[in-house]
Amino acid sequence: MSNIKNGLKPRVIVCLDVANGRVVKGVNFKGLKDMGDPVELALEYQRQGADEIVFLDIKATLENRANALETVTQVAKSLSIPFTVGGGLNSYQDVSDFLNAGADKVALNSAAVKNPELINQISQGFGAQCVVVAVDLDKQNNGSYKVFINGGHKETNLDAFAWLHEVQQRGAGEVLLTAMHKDGTGSGFDNDLMKRIASDLSIQVIASGGAAAPYHFVETFEAGSDAALAAGMFHRGEYSVQQVKQELLQNNIEVRVC
Amino acid sequence: MTEQKKVAVIDTKAGNLFSLFACLRRIDLEPVLVKNSTELEQQDFSAMVIPGQGRFGTVMNNLRKNQLEQAIKDWYLQGKNIVGICVGMQIFFESSEEDDGIQGLSLLAGKVTRLNSPKQPMVGWCDLKSELAFYKQKTVYFVNSFAVKESQQVIANAEYGEEFVAAIQIGSLTAFQFHPEKSGQQGEEVLKQCLI
Repeated sequence: MSNIKNGLKPRVIVCLDVANGRVVKGVNFKGLKDMGDPVELALEYQRQGADEIVFLDIKATLENRANALETVTQVAKSLSIPFTVGGGLNSYQDVSDFLNAGADKVALNSAAVKNPELINQISQGFGAQCVVVAVDLDKQNNGSYKVFINGGHKETNLDAFAWLHEVQQRGAGEVLLTAMHKDGTGSGFDNDLMKRIASDLSIQVIASGGAAAPYHFVETFEAGSDAALAAGMFHRGEYSVQQVKQELLQNNIEVRVC
Repeated sequence: MTEQKKVAVIDTKAGNLFSLFACLRRIDLEPVLVKNSTELEQQDFSAMVIPGQGRFGTVMNNLRKNQLEQAIKDWYLQGKNIVGICVGMQIFFESSEEDDGIQGLSLLAGKVTRLNSPKQPMVGWCDLKSELAFYKQKTVYFVNSFAVKESQQVIANAEYGEEFVAAIQIGSLTAFQFHPEKSGQQGEEVLKQCLI
């Protein structure tokens, strides 16, 4: 059965980790001169058919702020698809700087937990459409989900579902859910979680954590995810975005073909 | 090399124009930000673009403040090339549920209403339905919570929960509910078709 949701196509998003103007997680595929150049890599994924590019861990610390902004500008000039930047954005000014540098959306994570009002401010200032709240979740033995911050290193007392509803109510346009217990397992996204959240929330939900094969995208879109994000499976050269989309089309999931 | 065509991008003071400028440059046009009616008269522009950032009321109020409302109407009535994007399309109609009580340019009959979509805002890629071969094949990127549901000038529709107007065309005016500047190569083709 087609999972097409009244016309909108599920999105395949590629995530790059960028620090000091370089792509930092192992990228390994043929045909690129410089695997570490964020512009060249982002364009390569656009060419493969990615629906959106996300830069995370931009490490926008004070020392290399100018560097990070310049990288964002260079990428934004070249890309003709949506471009989201996140990681290390802590204030309204940070967000404003990165949007002005060319990002279409920002992903807020720890900063949103530490100062939830920031979500309201950014949503009112720039519009809900440019606010993605990223939530790192870890499944507990009793089946509940805990929210982590600081790159997954610090546990919070937040209840995952209550936090997601709060994020939506404060004006987020989308949520990006990373299932930490799935990250790096290669066993696919946490689709029980995605199914529940996708039907619970009235904003779009992006699945992250656990993808290692094209079929994992089929599973999560069938569960109701509006978009799904992966990094390693693409960077290691195991699969291209094209291959993921072919698999989706073969399973009657209508995705964008370019 | 021939000289690049200059395109007047109307400054609605309602959002970030980086993507639009970058896209216009990629298709070899020279975008120039125009802040008021005087600036519009000072240079020779081949076309005008009204960008798709911000809300209906903010955009209309800012246009009125900078004497751009009449300038846009004159441009349109003189049959000069004009392109509207997202809210830059919506303002051609009479009013919007996004900001009740604020009048649009009212050059076209119709109202902007909330999109009855499964998720809001609508964010993502959608196929165009059109009788025109050029638009029929296209998959483009939408970011909106409001839309026009019916227009005499419709040339393409899209559907997310309900059908709405994705593109209109009348005389020298072409306008899109989607964001061609974020719609990959197909979006660039759409802008080229109406600006070059």
